[in-house]
Amino acid sequence: MRTRGAILLANILTGLALGFTVTNIGFGDYAELNRMFTFQDLRMFLAFAGAVVIIVCVFALLRVRRTPGRIHAGVIPGAVLFGTGWAISGGCPAIPIIQVASGYLPAVVTILGIALGMRLCRWAGSRYFPLDSGSCGM
Amino acid sequence: MSSYWPWWAGAVGLALVTIVYTLITDRSFGVSSAWDRVLHWRRERRLEQMDEEFGDDRALAEALAAATAEHFGPAPGAFPPPQAPYGAAQPPSPRVEPVADGDLPVTGRRPAPLVTQAALLVSIFLGGLVAALVSGRFQLRYDMGPGFRDLVTADQPTMIALLFLGGILVGFGTRLAGGCSSGHGLSGCGRLQPVSIVATAVFFGTAVAVSFLLWKVI
Repeated sequence: MRTRGAILLANILTGLALGFTVTNIGFGDYAELNRMFTFQDLRMFLAFAGAVVIIVCVFALLRVRRTPGRIHAGVIPGAVLFGTGWAISGGCPAIPIIQVASGYLPAVVTILGIALGMRLCRWAGSRYFPLDSGSCGM
Repeated sequence: MSSYWPWWAGAVGLALVTIVYTLITDRSFGVSSAWDRVLHWRRERRLEQMDEEFGDDRALAEALAAATAEHFGPAPGAFPPPQAPYGAAQPPSPRVEPVADGDLPVTGRRPAPLVTQAALLVSIFLGGLVAALVSGRFQLRYDMGPGFRDLVTADQPTMIALLFLGGILVGFGTRLAGGCSSGHGLSGCGRLQPVSIVATAVFFGTAVAVSFLLWKVI
């Protein structure tokens, strides 16, 4: 079940479904995103929160185990930086991809920024603040 | 904006994506981590090769430890588990951490193969492209839409600079926090992990504050 082929197939299907879903929810639309963050329109917020509620219930039923991860010193500053960047650029790491796919060409610049930011984080992390990498994707 | 999905359809869609991925791969799913690993593909590929080489040694060591325990009874603490090369190769950021309840996690022992994470990013693009084409929203344009123009800036160079700066903040911030809206927000909160709940609350709260600033003040 967890062969390389199965994982590859799962990633392709997940990517297709995620890109399709996120685009249709409207996360790539900067106006919609700002309306969500300012609570003018709860539709996208409910989509996200509703998804979390469903996942919590299903994971609890299936007894999905937790991944390693503790609240290290980078979590809060990192989340503050990420929240600021998301509100300004409209991109969490998946969104600029679907923005480009929807025709918003300047989102390529957001992707370049993300690439630089991630490289900076690894570079700075290995020199100045050795932290563990947390839970994302682990 | 009636052409977007109603909230419940979005919720079911996002939940299905996360649940199906978790069940098939036995891993937690996160886009920022996929980006991070693809961007550092040279180093990650080296780690993968090391992992394959050490795989046999580790299996041997585990088998030996198990056989010894069978003969002499389990000695608590006498046989530290052989260290995974992923942990050993990264002294500043150990990926394999013992969890609080002392149970070795099934998920997260090893990240998904690099090529699969590259496939994830490409597939997100294709899925988004299909959605945009099918819904008729696809439009090649050199701005970020009326929302960005009204709320942030109408000036092209300023827009490019802000997108780049925002991207850097997103890239740096997600890696520092160890996750993004999919890794912490969906996968982590779905597992009720304290770190993910804190991270999600903080990045969402910050985004709310900055968005209000953009909307009302600037």
